[in-house]
Amino acid sequence: MRFLVLASQYRVLIMLGLTLVISALVVPGYLSASTFSLGLDRAATIGLIAIGLTVLLIAGQIDLSGGAVFALAGIVSVILQREIGILPAAIVGILVGAVAGAVNGALVVGLKVNSLVLTLATMLIFRSLAHWITNSQPVTGTDIMLSLALAKTYLEMFTIRSALFIVLIVLLHAWLTRTIPGRNVFAVGSNPAAAKESGIASDRIVFLGFVFAGTLAGLAGVLQSLVTNTGSPVFGSELTVAVIAAVVVGGTRLEGGRGSALGTLGGVLTIGSLTIAMEFQSIPAYVQQVVSGLILILLVVLDRAVTTKGRAPGTRPALVRDKPITQGGKI
Amino acid sequence: MTAVADCALDMRGISKTFPGVKALSNVNFAVRFGTVHAVVGENGAGKSTLMKVLNGSYAPTSGTIRVGGNEVRMRKPADAQALGIRMVHQEINLVPDLTVAENVYLGRMPGKWTWLRKGEMIRKAAAVLKELGAAINPRERLGNLSISQQQLVEIAKAYAAQPRIIVLDEPTSSLSEHETAALFRILRKMRGEGIAIIYISHRLKEVLEIADEVTVLRDGSMIETRPIEGITAAEMIRLMVGREVSNVFPKSQAEIGASVLRVERIGDGASFRDVSFDVRAGEILGLTGLVGAGRTEVARAIFGLSRLVEGSVVVNGRKVVINSPSEAVRAGIAYVPEDRKGDGIVPAMSVRENISLPILRRLARFGRIRRSADRSLSATYVKQFSISPPDGERRINLLSGGNQQKAVIAKWLAAKPAVLILDEPTRGVDVGAKAEIHHIIGQLVADGMAVVMISSELPEILGVCDRVVVMRDGRASTPLTRAELSEERIMALATGEEAA
Amino acid sequence: MTGTTMEISGVNRTDRFTRGSRLVDALSKAGLALAILAVVLYGSFASPAFFTTGNLLNVLTSMSIVGIVVVGMTFVLVAGGLADLSVPATIACGAILSLGLQPMIGPVPAFVLAVALAGLIGLLNGMLVGYAGINPIIATLGVGTIGLGIVQAAVGGVIVYGSNTASAEFAKGRLLGIPVVVLIFLVIALIGHFVLSRSFWGRWTLATGGNYSAAEASAVPVKAVKAGAFVITALASGMSGGLLGLTLQSARPLIGSGYEFSAITAVVVGGVSIIGGFGSVPRAIAGLVFVQLLTNVMVLQGVRTPIQGFVLGILIVGAVGMDAALRKRGVA
Repeated sequence: MRFLVLASQYRVLIMLGLTLVISALVVPGYLSASTFSLGLDRAATIGLIAIGLTVLLIAGQIDLSGGAVFALAGIVSVILQREIGILPAAIVGILVGAVAGAVNGALVVGLKVNSLVLTLATMLIFRSLAHWITNSQPVTGTDIMLSLALAKTYLEMFTIRSALFIVLIVLLHAWLTRTIPGRNVFAVGSNPAAAKESGIASDRIVFLGFVFAGTLAGLAGVLQSLVTNTGSPVFGSELTVAVIAAVVVGGTRLEGGRGSALGTLGGVLTIGSLTIAMEFQSIPAYVQQVVSGLILILLVVLDRAVTTKGRAPGTRPALVRDKPITQGGKI
Repeated sequence: MTAVADCALDMRGISKTFPGVKALSNVNFAVRFGTVHAVVGENGAGKSTLMKVLNGSYAPTSGTIRVGGNEVRMRKPADAQALGIRMVHQEINLVPDLTVAENVYLGRMPGKWTWLRKGEMIRKAAAVLKELGAAINPRERLGNLSISQQQLVEIAKAYAAQPRIIVLDEPTSSLSEHETAALFRILRKMRGEGIAIIYISHRLKEVLEIADEVTVLRDGSMIETRPIEGITAAEMIRLMVGREVSNVFPKSQAEIGASVLRVERIGDGASFRDVSFDVRAGEILGLTGLVGAGRTEVARAIFGLSRLVEGSVVVNGRKVVINSPSEAVRAGIAYVPEDRKGDGIVPAMSVRENISLPILRRLARFGRIRRSADRSLSATYVKQFSISPPDGERRINLLSGGNQQKAVIAKWLAAKPAVLILDEPTRGVDVGAKAEIHHIIGQLVADGMAVVMISSELPEILGVCDRVVVMRDGRASTPLTRAELSEERIMALATGEEAA
Repeated sequence: MTGTTMEISGVNRTDRFTRGSRLVDALSKAGLALAILAVVLYGSFASPAFFTTGNLLNVLTSMSIVGIVVVGMTFVLVAGGLADLSVPATIACGAILSLGLQPMIGPVPAFVLAVALAGLIGLLNGMLVGYAGINPIIATLGVGTIGLGIVQAAVGGVIVYGSNTASAEFAKGRLLGIPVVVLIFLVIALIGHFVLSRSFWGRWTLATGGNYSAAEASAVPVKAVKAGAFVITALASGMSGGLLGLTLQSARPLIGSGYEFSAITAVVVGGVSIIGGFGSVPRAIAGLVFVQLLTNVMVLQGVRTPIQGFVLGILIVGAVGMDAALRKRGVA
């Protein structure tokens, strides 16, 4: 038990370390700046979505529609390029993400239904919209040069996308640890009844959490489309499990109330280095899927084993109890 | 009796009616600033309802409330908080994943715009904790604290809001003697600052030690408010109990046979330990004590709903190890839970489906439930227990509480257990149904069943049981025989006035 | 969810709900029948191709493949297991193995083995959900990803073709003018209906979903019941995948994607409660008929596939919202 608790606490470091050591041993030339830069850029997509999901999970909710929003926002930003120019199109794309998040949030808070079930349905809706708009065909943008610029590495380390991810995760860290609303997110996810009784507007926090998650998924999708100069309705379908796995590796609990931005950074780096290592070894994508699935399941089971013991009284795991958070609380 | 000026709270003629039940009738209750006012009464006397009216959770059906001399109307807890009324609940209601300081200032953390002034918050929390004499690091994660420390944080949270009236509901239930002494120092300090303190407790010794005045509630009515000087624990018990022991619970006479269930020094490692008793065929053993004394936990552990870590359970002379309810049923033990809604009935199912649930496999042939057997089973019990309306096909949540309870008992009789454990079998049912349930229990023991009945209601325990075990703080007394039974004796054992 | 007021008042707060729910119950049953009727009427007027034997047989056949999954998914929802997202993996497992193993062990053993292995995936789901207490959606999402990856790895990510013509003809054939696949679906639906409504296991499933702790306190083996629902779903979708593979005579690893949503939509549109404790196989099949006919009419009207997915999503949100609204009325 003691061992499990320790393993659970330091899992980001353990897993990141293990991944790096094993990859370095197996993959020649793995530990180099260029690999790191490539890995970081690859991880940034997962990372941007993971930023939004971290906030939501801490608040005791989840969003499964992130991958679909990712595709939809990217498509919109590409299609509109011809009409209104690249930058406005990108902004509209991000706004599409925000609106999708608002739809999720409004439905979860308004209908008081389990966010897992609801975002499963909206995932289908957003994905269908993406197919609908594009007629299930990939769409291409107007400016190829832009994607080259976006793919450029600065300081031999960061692309614009990975720099943005790093900056945002640091900001998120500050927001979660040092601001009042940030702390209130933890309160809502950890003990909704206590939060409510202390006058915290948990419905509003949950709603805004969904808007935030949608916006970030939209941002990730827009960046992906700009980098590849393409928008495709099938983009992002494999991301859901990888993103949840990254966040859970980072120590954020599915039950809500616990998590950190830096942990998510570690989790994203772990999944990123793993992906790169497997790509270097030409391991097929479906095996990579198996690995992220395994990591997710093992860690969730570990979390259960650790938290069923030693859980403080008065706490109610939000997601695990299959009860929407907004209904939580004693009367 | 006192000037209006120092009257912190004046509740007059408060009544609260729920459909079918009068929870409070015409209660007058006044508390002065700078005093500790204790509220005592049996379980269900109306203490918690009165406090819920006071903190805005319930609107009273009639009556007026004055706070600091002004008449007020409170619709939600926030209204009460705005008036300077703070509650410290018996159950800890804090956020385990935040720090102590954040919990103390939950919902009103200091800051500029959204930026949290962490240093200021920690300093202020540390000051409050120090003032209360609690050696707790304000940066510590709350979930890492012991329960008693969390209780102190709960008090610090209320105190930091600079309340005018503070309500403490059984604040010492999770505190050691040493911690209780510390709490009393805190309360005296708050009293010195002019705060009105309402102190709800079952522990009469503590009431005598800390309170200035005491109000006794019984059956939803205010019985008496008195200064603490000149009142004794025995007198408080008399006022709390205070009814004629009438013969509403006729004791049925049954032949008492051999021991059916014997538990020896059982414990679950948390809420009870070293509990021993036995119950014989044809006997009703009462298990009583205050809420939280560990009665329900004992029953659930015997029935396999939670785990025993020590001791042994013997049924009909055979030692049994029970890890799940189905093993308990096989061993001949049945259990009617306390929380009928939560653990007793499956609301969307019919009476028939509920009754046959534990023995479905026996009713089935090749997996298919034999319809005729299913129907005749429920028809038998619907008739025998005169469940009303006499229709087994009716959804069980359409029935009254008493009839639901009869169906839950019937569910277990079909399994033909050797011993039946009933947890608060008559709570929340009307007088008629209560008598019927007692009659049913009487029939069962007459047929040679052994019954363990958990109840908080002393007249019921006195009227129905052959022997009574009183629990306090997870320990059980030696069984009292009928000759030794009295309400005062049980209350004394339950509150710790008399050593077990 | 019920408050302390319940205990104090001692009266039944749910009277209003249950009385109301009877009306709603009747309405939702009749409502679904009316909706199906409306779709049929609209379809026959709007498209001459709709009310033809060929088209209806087509609908029936494609409905049957999803329908087998729907029967299993009904158990998951009724038991309070939310949903099983590993269906694409179990369908792929059934399809790929029942074709891929044919040359080695013959068509019938291949089919049986394929279904059994799919059942194993279900067992893993069941252990995680029923015994380890993991949230069903997360657990089945993870297990599905793993299962699908393994199946793909096993065949190297390519398409598998059938090699046994006799089995193909059987699967595509007709008996008394009715497609064999439809007959198999009807048999499975009847068995599912019998188990859920007449057997002790079905009663246990309803009780577990209706009130987990009361069922546990009534000596119902709740963990096994919950796990069993996932095993049943996996067996059903393994079988569905096998039949799909045999009829198509080819199987891609992603052959089953989308089936999980079709099945969930059918079940919730049929009025089976998303939080468990209420529902039946006929209801779920009525939901399936409605959804399939609606899709068919849309196809005949030239509505593109994505819009159909869009409509499915809206239907799930609507059904879940309605379920939540009913529940709220019941509890508050």
